[in-house]
Amino acid sequence: MPLIKSEFPIFEAARKEGRPLIFLDNASTTQKPKCIIDAISGFYAGYYANVGRGSYWPATAASSGYDQAREKVRAFIGASSKKEVIFTSGTTDAVNKVVNSFLLPQLEQGDEVLVSEMEHHSNFVPWQQACLLKGAQLKVIPLDAELNLDLSKLASMLTSKVKILAITAISNTLGVKNDLSSIIKLAHQHNTKVFVDAAQLPLSEKVDVQDMDCDFLAFSGHKVFGPTGIGVLFGKQALLENMSPLAYGGGMVQQVSVDKTIMTDLPSKHEAGTPNIAGAIGLAAAIDFINSVGVEEIGKHSAGLRKYAVKRLSEIEGLTLFAKDVKATAILSFTMEGIHPHDIAAFLAEKGIAVRAGHHCTHPLMHKLDIGGTVRVSFSIYNSEEEVDLLKNTLDEIRSFFL
Amino acid sequence: MNDRLKALYKTQILAHAKSPFNEGVLDDYTHKLQAYNPVCGDQFDLYLKFEDDIIQKTSFKGYGCAISKASTSVLTKQLLGKNKLEAKALIELFLKVIDPENSESPESITSDEEILAFASAREFPERLTCANLAWGKLREVLEEE
Repeated sequence: MPLIKSEFPIFEAARKEGRPLIFLDNASTTQKPKCIIDAISGFYAGYYANVGRGSYWPATAASSGYDQAREKVRAFIGASSKKEVIFTSGTTDAVNKVVNSFLLPQLEQGDEVLVSEMEHHSNFVPWQQACLLKGAQLKVIPLDAELNLDLSKLASMLTSKVKILAITAISNTLGVKNDLSSIIKLAHQHNTKVFVDAAQLPLSEKVDVQDMDCDFLAFSGHKVFGPTGIGVLFGKQALLENMSPLAYGGGMVQQVSVDKTIMTDLPSKHEAGTPNIAGAIGLAAAIDFINSVGVEEIGKHSAGLRKYAVKRLSEIEGLTLFAKDVKATAILSFTMEGIHPHDIAAFLAEKGIAVRAGHHCTHPLMHKLDIGGTVRVSFSIYNSEEEVDLLKNTLDEIRSFFL
Repeated sequence: MNDRLKALYKTQILAHAKSPFNEGVLDDYTHKLQAYNPVCGDQFDLYLKFEDDIIQKTSFKGYGCAISKASTSVLTKQLLGKNKLEAKALIELFLKVIDPENSESPESITSDEEILAFASAREFPERLTCANLAWGKLREVLEEE
């Protein structure tokens, strides 16, 4: 997709400095196209004010922009109502809010919470800490030999004690995609609610929360070409209505007296304080950008590069690919015999190839694999097969330097 | 390959990383400490045996990149035969050699080639925590005593 790459100013900036940039760290964050940068600066320069209160221009324009952003997100994830779309600062923030407002008030000693062995720390630690606080038990669904979630084990772990199952849509380390529909169906048979960490999902396939039937789902703006500091928590309306506010403050109250406070309705009930207006507007622009290219196209392009990378990197002796047969995702992890991931990443960086090395915030998975870390490459629309070739050739050079 | 980075990984470092000095567990240690870098997950257990205030035996075991492994290896080698004060001085000297804020040239600080091999770390601030992982931890422990 050569035309698309030119919409991302960072590559031109890098070229002017004579500094190549082959950005293969898209599971961590994505680069920003000009239209999104323009939407954010356009808001600050053109119609900036706070939302929800002022009856003057530009407050009305800002409020309308913020509201339209929520509608764009609703359509993007297939929610039935804007009331189900809560803006957060990101996926991590959303997990913490669900833990605090949904889980903790009902969690008792002897209850259980299920997570998987492939979770990112952000979808692991908050649940673990809640369990420790209440004397509940955190149980970890194991992976099978192919590093897929072991669905038969999950079936046996689901009991009436389980209050919530928190599961990632796509492993940020392995690129393994979970069969969410089956998992959620299974969980619902036991009246267990399901929280989906969708941080890696929106550029892989069209998200449809109604079809998926998840109870909660979260993703971050910055991983889908949007700005940092903005994210989305989807929750089924009935659940969000019954939950106490995710935070208290201004903007989410109808009436306040010394004795009590009456909260506003959804969604503002869960958005105390001045929201990240520019972030929401930037995210809306990102959704427009994604739709203009097509989620399917983006997913297909990135998954195609993963497949090509599997083929090329398999040619390197002593290189181990993890979950190499995974389809339809953009993330690939590998190790090289005798060379530490950080040494590999340092040499790749000298060629302008940006990858991630280490544990990728998945310590439990690293323990399971019995390794200290991996090198992770993750693709997006501005990457190409030529870049994969350069990666492969550089890995060859690294190997001959070290061994 | 890039010369700048190659300089960092020069023979001394690669040699230590490939065949580290005294890798393993020491049973009769007087000091055991764990150097851990939460950012990358690198981790080394360091074993020291003091006898009459002199470090008689050292070893280390763990997981880390070539830089952190080599620097830990060099540390365990250089500590041998030193008393606590000398060990502290050695650590200070090493940290000065790799400190990018330090205006003194590495060669003016020491002529020890094993230590000078790490001077290139000054150019790679993101790798400083690899180079000083075990050294920093030992300094912390010795200062507490």
